[in-house]
Amino acid sequence: MKTKENILLNIKDLHVWYRVYGGFLKVLNGVHLMVREGERVGLVGEAGCGKTTTMKSILQILPPGDFHIPRGQIFYKGQDVLKMSFKELQRLRSREIAMIFQDPTAALNPVFIIGTQIGDVIKYSSAVLEENVHQQEKIKMLSIKTLKEVSLPDPERMLINYSFQLSGGMKQRVCIAMAICSARNLLIADEPGTSLDVTIQDQIMRLLNELVEKRNTAIILITHSLAVAREMTDRIYVMYAGTIVETATPEILFKNPVHPYTKGLLASVPKISGGGISNGIPGKLPSYLNPPSGCRFQPRCEQESPICSEKPPQLFEIEKNHLVACYLTQR
Amino acid sequence: MRNSNKPNNLIAISLVRPKSIFWFNLEKNWYKFSRNRLSIVGLVIVAGIIISAIFAPWIIPYPEHVGPFVDFESGAQPPSLQHLFGTDIIGRDIFSRVIFAFRGALIMAVVVLALAVPPGVFLGLIAGYLQNTWIDTVIMRITDVFLSIPPLILALAIAAMLKPTLMNAMIAVTISWWPWYTRLVYGMASSVRNEYFVIAANLIGASKFHILLREILPNCLSPIFTKMALDIGWVILLGASLSFLGLGEQPPIPALGTMLSDGAKFMPTLWWMSVFPALAIVLCILGFNLMGDGIRDMLEKGRE
Amino acid sequence: MKQTTNNEILKIEKLKKYFHIGKDKKGPIYVRAVDGVDLNIKHGETLGLVGESGSGKSTIAYTVVGMYRPTSGQIMFKGKNTGMEASRRSLSSKKEIQIVFQDPGSSLNTRQTIEQILALPLRIHTQIPKRQFREKIVELLEKVELSPNYLYKSPSLIGGGEKQMVAIARAMAPNPSLIILDEPTSALDVSVQAKIINKLIDLQKEMNLSYLFITHDLSLMRNVANRIAIMYLGKICEVAESATFFEKPLHPYTQMLISSVPVITEEEKKLKPKKAISIGEIPSPVNIPLGCSFHLRCPYKMSICSKVDPEMIEFSPEHIVRCHLFAKLENKKQERSD
Repeated sequence: MKTKENILLNIKDLHVWYRVYGGFLKVLNGVHLMVREGERVGLVGEAGCGKTTTMKSILQILPPGDFHIPRGQIFYKGQDVLKMSFKELQRLRSREIAMIFQDPTAALNPVFIIGTQIGDVIKYSSAVLEENVHQQEKIKMLSIKTLKEVSLPDPERMLINYSFQLSGGMKQRVCIAMAICSARNLLIADEPGTSLDVTIQDQIMRLLNELVEKRNTAIILITHSLAVAREMTDRIYVMYAGTIVETATPEILFKNPVHPYTKGLLASVPKISGGGISNGIPGKLPSYLNPPSGCRFQPRCEQESPICSEKPPQLFEIEKNHLVACYLTQR
Repeated sequence: MRNSNKPNNLIAISLVRPKSIFWFNLEKNWYKFSRNRLSIVGLVIVAGIIISAIFAPWIIPYPEHVGPFVDFESGAQPPSLQHLFGTDIIGRDIFSRVIFAFRGALIMAVVVLALAVPPGVFLGLIAGYLQNTWIDTVIMRITDVFLSIPPLILALAIAAMLKPTLMNAMIAVTISWWPWYTRLVYGMASSVRNEYFVIAANLIGASKFHILLREILPNCLSPIFTKMALDIGWVILLGASLSFLGLGEQPPIPALGTMLSDGAKFMPTLWWMSVFPALAIVLCILGFNLMGDGIRDMLEKGRE
Repeated sequence: MKQTTNNEILKIEKLKKYFHIGKDKKGPIYVRAVDGVDLNIKHGETLGLVGESGSGKSTIAYTVVGMYRPTSGQIMFKGKNTGMEASRRSLSSKKEIQIVFQDPGSSLNTRQTIEQILALPLRIHTQIPKRQFREKIVELLEKVELSPNYLYKSPSLIGGGEKQMVAIARAMAPNPSLIILDEPTSALDVSVQAKIINKLIDLQKEMNLSYLFITHDLSLMRNVANRIAIMYLGKICEVAESATFFEKPLHPYTQMLISSVPVITEEEKKLKPKKAISIGEIPSPVNIPLGCSFHLRCPYKMSICSKVDPEMIEFSPEHIVRCHLFAKLENKKQERSD
């Protein structure tokens, strides 16, 4: 029986700015995100909306010196990540949370064999295991065991392969193996199937689903595809221009989307049942250098009301498990 | 959102039309250049050298000393308030001569680059675009031959064959210099020609001329300009090496290398005769190198 | 016996494109990117070409437009032989066939302004005098819904969707008859994609164009193409009209592909074949399996599949499939007609 009640990660009102020529890029403007133990959460948004920035903030791997966090907190198991010491952060990154990147070719080091790379991950997160894994044999056994878990054929031979000898799907499986070695509690998968063929992407998604179920790990799945989020998640957050505009379970979100952006996005997705696609959403992303002072979607929104340009709307619960950040729905 | 008034719109745009993308982005380019403070130091040094070279006859304290002038009584004076860098053994003010020598140095650098860069770039473009054909092989092997001869020796041989004048020294340095640009542009052109926009231009039916000059060349310009800025310092050095050995600007017109060689005999007692010309050479190379770094930062295509 | 009918604008017959990549003891090694492909496109239609990596779809596009020379086979455009490299083609044939590439970032020269980029096809293919160029370019920009401000911008300053619009305007400029779109929206967001696709469909009607639309996105294909052809490792597996393709997919690879597509409505979910989930890896085009190239991953594999490569069979008019499962049908048809 899985406990889905304890909150594992809670991002509150996160603001992140990047320093550039001409001022600050105010990318994140109050992001709220919550993940419970064992839960599968999807973060859906288009390019440039700030999803990768949010994830990098959790692990504190933003480019040093160039960013600034004026407000916000990221609570992991009750502790604020933004105030953690270096040692605590290291512990977080090596044992608690792991990230699976979008492009597996870039995520693997081409000059080392797979065995070395997985071995390194196990070594550096070894304190979480009961036995002492500083012996080569134990590391090797554990590597093979993990590679079997991600359905890689012939794991012993895989250990001595280089990454360029593997196909895209296999590389992504290796990355997933490396992630589950070190992550006990939370996986962050940044568009894990996008650079792969669609049949391989399907296999990878099913694999992730299985692993997450079996190990009771929570997962944040970042994607630009609502369809992928629908098949893989328990709750979806829709993000636009650095803010969360709507969040709900997939059933509710697809049956009753409320925010104009969500509605526009859903209408733009082509369906295999035909019927054509809408004309997209007029306009484009606002400038982060001089963002609108109110709701960031307001310049592209068809409906309007004076308060929309005054201050950004907060997330508001319109029904159970369904929150929206829009003034027009709060009446 | 739609513009209903077509003619007015076009006129308005014509008035605001920027001459080229570089000047359009001047402010942003300056920002990129000035991120590194040392680049600004370089720019200041270079500006100083250029201004003093242009206005030399009017700003130096002893303009007669750059011509035939002799005053043995004030010879061999160490640096003082009247002679900032001291005097040489025949009494000429070293400060004035050093400033004046910048002229010859800069003229040589400008002329050498003006003569060497266009053919070098042109050959590199053709060889790079026609990579893996016999034209490529011929051009690059000739380039290799010139690159394999040490520049000083090649320049010496040529300058020694011809009469020792500034002009011939420039010819000698030019011949040593063009192959570096060919090799630089060859590498860039052979990779740019595989870019999709070049393929697209080819498929649309553009002539080879257009592709070389309008598609490929503009994408090779950044490293060319950066290298030119850096090269000015090194050409000055090569010119000074030649004049050190007596080939180049002939006395009594001052040249940095000649002054160095004159003063070398009197080291270390009359140290100021060699040290200041040497420092001037160092300053030139340092200034152009630092400025060159800034130019590279400015022209690099980073995140927009 | 089929002849080139007046209705067909492009006819590809037995097209092969092999790339020579080296040698081993047995002889030269080839990548058989395109291995015997027959395709045709009718006037005004959009033919969709679907496939995953290694399928050869981009190679076909590049060969048709003239980037590659075919190893063998014929490409007939409007009845004339066009199967050669672009440098050897006539100017009119270069004008008639245009291409829009996948990556908008690298298909536009960032060191030019958009005005210069769009002036090039006008200069080469039209008789418009130079002083009217600007007007014509503004007209082109308006067709793709970009304001005249874009004239002086460099491509590096505009977004991906707008860059792709400029690429489309460039393709439209010489007034072509056939445009090849190689995954034009794969690098773009779904809302931007929607805008561009609708614009492409409008322009097709307005200018009476034919499209060869290449993508790996099946749900996009369903809404864009009139007919769909699916490729695997250099050969065509199935060709059918859009609706038929999804309602009655015959080839096992087609079924596998459709079942892998992520969907957002229940209605679509019901459309997906249930038994054909994806297994196995796509083999490298250097090591194509003997017999039917798909047999290693096929759930309906028979003994003949590992030995003999199947022929293209006509299941019904406008629906052809290359699979041994349907060979009996062909035999039965032949028996009846004898």
